[in-house]
Amino acid sequence: MKKIEAIIQPHKLEEVKEALKAIGIDGMTVIEVRGHGRQKGHKEIYRGMEYQVDLLPKIKLEMVVPGGRADEVIRTLVAAARTGKIGDGKVFVSDIADAIRIRNDDRGEGAL
Amino acid sequence: MSEAAILALPAPESVANRLSARTAEVEERVREAYAKTLQPRSSAGLALVAVGGFGRCELFPASDVDLLLLVEFENQIPPAREGLSQFLQVLWDGGLRPSHSVHTVADCVTEHEGNAELTISLLDRRLVAGDPAMFQWLDERFRTFAAKRAAAVARQLARLAEARHAKYQNTIYHLEPNIKDTAGGLRDLETVRWLAALQRRGEAPDLESAFNFLAAIRIRLHEIAGRDQNVLSFDAQEALSEQPAALMRDYYRHARQVHRTARRALEAATEQPGNLLGRFHEWRSRLSTPEFTVSRDRVLLRTPKQLPPGLSLFEFAARHDLRLATDTVERLAGFTPQAKWEDWKLLLALPRPSSGLRAMQEAEVLAAALPEWGHIECLVVRDFYHRYTVDEHTLVAIASLESIGDARFAALFEEIDDPALLRFALLLHDIGKGSGHDHIEASLGIARVVLERLGAPEPDRATVEFLVEHHLDLSKAMTSRDLHDRATSRVLAERVGTIERLKMLVMMTYADCSAVNPQAMTPWRVEQLWQVYVLAHQELTRALDAERIHDAAGVLPEQSRFLEGLPTRYLRTHTATQIEAHCELARQLESRAVAIEIAHERSVYRLTLLAHDRPALFASVAGAISSFGLNILKAEAFSNARGIAVDTFVFSDPHRTLDLNPPEVDRLRGIVRRVIEGKQAADKLLRARPKPFVSSRAGRLKPRVAFNNDASEASTLIEIAAEDRPGLLYDLARAISAAGCNIEVVLIDTEAHKALDVFYATADGRKLDSALQDRLKNDLLAACSAS
Repeated sequence: MKKIEAIIQPHKLEEVKEALKAIGIDGMTVIEVRGHGRQKGHKEIYRGMEYQVDLLPKIKLEMVVPGGRADEVIRTLVAAARTGKIGDGKVFVSDIADAIRIRNDDRGEGAL
Repeated sequence: MSEAAILALPAPESVANRLSARTAEVEERVREAYAKTLQPRSSAGLALVAVGGFGRCELFPASDVDLLLLVEFENQIPPAREGLSQFLQVLWDGGLRPSHSVHTVADCVTEHEGNAELTISLLDRRLVAGDPAMFQWLDERFRTFAAKRAAAVARQLARLAEARHAKYQNTIYHLEPNIKDTAGGLRDLETVRWLAALQRRGEAPDLESAFNFLAAIRIRLHEIAGRDQNVLSFDAQEALSEQPAALMRDYYRHARQVHRTARRALEAATEQPGNLLGRFHEWRSRLSTPEFTVSRDRVLLRTPKQLPPGLSLFEFAARHDLRLATDTVERLAGFTPQAKWEDWKLLLALPRPSSGLRAMQEAEVLAAALPEWGHIECLVVRDFYHRYTVDEHTLVAIASLESIGDARFAALFEEIDDPALLRFALLLHDIGKGSGHDHIEASLGIARVVLERLGAPEPDRATVEFLVEHHLDLSKAMTSRDLHDRATSRVLAERVGTIERLKMLVMMTYADCSAVNPQAMTPWRVEQLWQVYVLAHQELTRALDAERIHDAAGVLPEQSRFLEGLPTRYLRTHTATQIEAHCELARQLESRAVAIEIAHERSVYRLTLLAHDRPALFASVAGAISSFGLNILKAEAFSNARGIAVDTFVFSDPHRTLDLNPPEVDRLRGIVRRVIEGKQAADKLLRARPKPFVSSRAGRLKPRVAFNNDASEASTLIEIAAEDRPGLLYDLARAISAAGCNIEVVLIDTEAHKALDVFYATADGRKLDSALQDRLKNDLLAACSAS
């Protein structure tokens, strides 16, 4: 099992969700986050003055998928989230030791 | 849940029986446990008392069983402990949830700071087992104690109720209410009964049907969850009724009655008796007027037989942030105020109108004055995010503008000229919900009817309708558009049209999002909304100079000639009638150098002038107006393709020069004409005026001057923000003209001592080069700081 965490542009959320749904991935956690990577915020001009905006609103997606599907999910996610511009975000992948469904004690991939 | 059978509520008349049956069953088991564990240890000086819900014989299926173990002496407590833990063990093992305390009689008749619960629980006391003499002793002493300390206990009850209501945002209109603790819940009902018992004023007000309804729901909630669960969740609503919306309307009706009765009882109970003189002073509170009396922050009518005209009562309540006295609410039953557009605007223009609207809602006058409000009263629209009914959401939205947490948005709200329009739009923004159609379409349709009926003038109507129609545009853009794509801001700017409307729509979105639930306006959302605002603001500022009218459609050829080359903003900020009047002024220019019109509009004057553009035209006129001691609030200057300048100045008359001396209006017109014709120098006029006193308040706005050569194809954008002062505009405009620049477009706004000026300028038909910018920047900063 792999955990996929993706930081994406807020306006790409719907597209990414749709794309993942199309390949059968329904479950995910969506978190509104603020942060910056290499984009390091940007300058904003308001009433002629420049302001530095440090933390940009982003969306973080988290999902755990069976190991065999991880590549497909990542490919789909990246394709849907890409605009080609700076600030498109990143995807992090990690191994998951186990998963438990609280309702009935299902374990492992069966709990996903 | 759809396939599950509906678990209908128990019949109202069976509720009391069910509760007492449950109490009897539990009592039986408690007695048994007592007999097995505690009784053998000590025969005398020990009594087991049922208190709280158990004491009232109103045990719900999963309620705590409130018990008090009464001991004669402190030193009995340690030996009793072992027996007590066995006793509790038996109850726990039997599936009950005992909640116990051990006290001496002396404890029970002492006031405990910060622990009013003991005193309150003792109001419902009953001997279950043990020494009857002990209980009788407690009973007598507690009666005396409660009679003596009734007022103090009532105040404690009031404090507890206040804290409890605050925890649930002081509203009964939750979509998923906690039916025990929310305002209007069972706890409020008990509060009413306790107060009646304390004051021995006879029977408690009749809340039987409300009790039966709420208790029936609570019985089912406990049965469904198998524990003390009192939230009437969406799932539970579906489990209890085939028509959850109807169930909830019933709920709100009962809760409203309970809440109202509880408030009345708490108000009455906490009234300070005081001496006669004190009462007299209070009666004659400094807020009182010939129509209204204010007593203990409650409004009473001076002449109860004669109801106040229009919305004056609610305006009064809003102005001073007061609530209506219970008596006033009663007198307003069936009252339909004759409120026209002006009345609504008066109310909604106040800094904190929400207390007035709340008072109207509470007295059921809101739906009488605005029958469409009835559509959304207690209306439940279920989605994942909303916490309140639609009417409550609306009132919370309006109130959210009265305490704006984010400093940027607070400042932005201050810049809105007519917040009453924004508030009225908020009042109507969701009024079409529940119609079964798209709620924006439905709300807009209703808004049109309401505005027509109230007799709102055309520009006000257009603004309110615009806000209702577009109230979701910005939040949609926040989540589904790439904000840094220029196309997004272009589309938004195009749709919104003017900076003034953008500000209103942004604040509307802020209020609407804030009122979804108490946590909805996250820093994330605040940031997103601010981004939308800044980008659209930039785009609209850019459009001032860049977007010009070309071949205006749907107008007469003569008008089209006049409009050609004016910024598109002109069309968006002027009505057809105003455009026609300007065309008429343009016609006058064939026979004279300048055409001037001065109109008195409520608290301000508006001077419109048309002239063939010439150097320093704008500066001269600004100077001439200031030389009369008039205070320029807004100004715009545009010119069309034929070189005709259309300048508008809106100014106030702080010394009432024009108000008190009508001939001065003609003199002003004459002076403006003379400075334009070059027969009089504006600086000479100003020199004669005494220097105004400028206070050196701390925290004055630091002046800012910024140049931007990218905003427009042909001109340089100069943005200035500075502390306003009389004559500032003249000094700024003159500095630009003196530097050899031509002013192409001007947009001036002042809000609360802050001048926000936008100039588009050229020098010799080109953008300003950096050397000129540096020089001009110094001159402008000097003009800002000069006093």
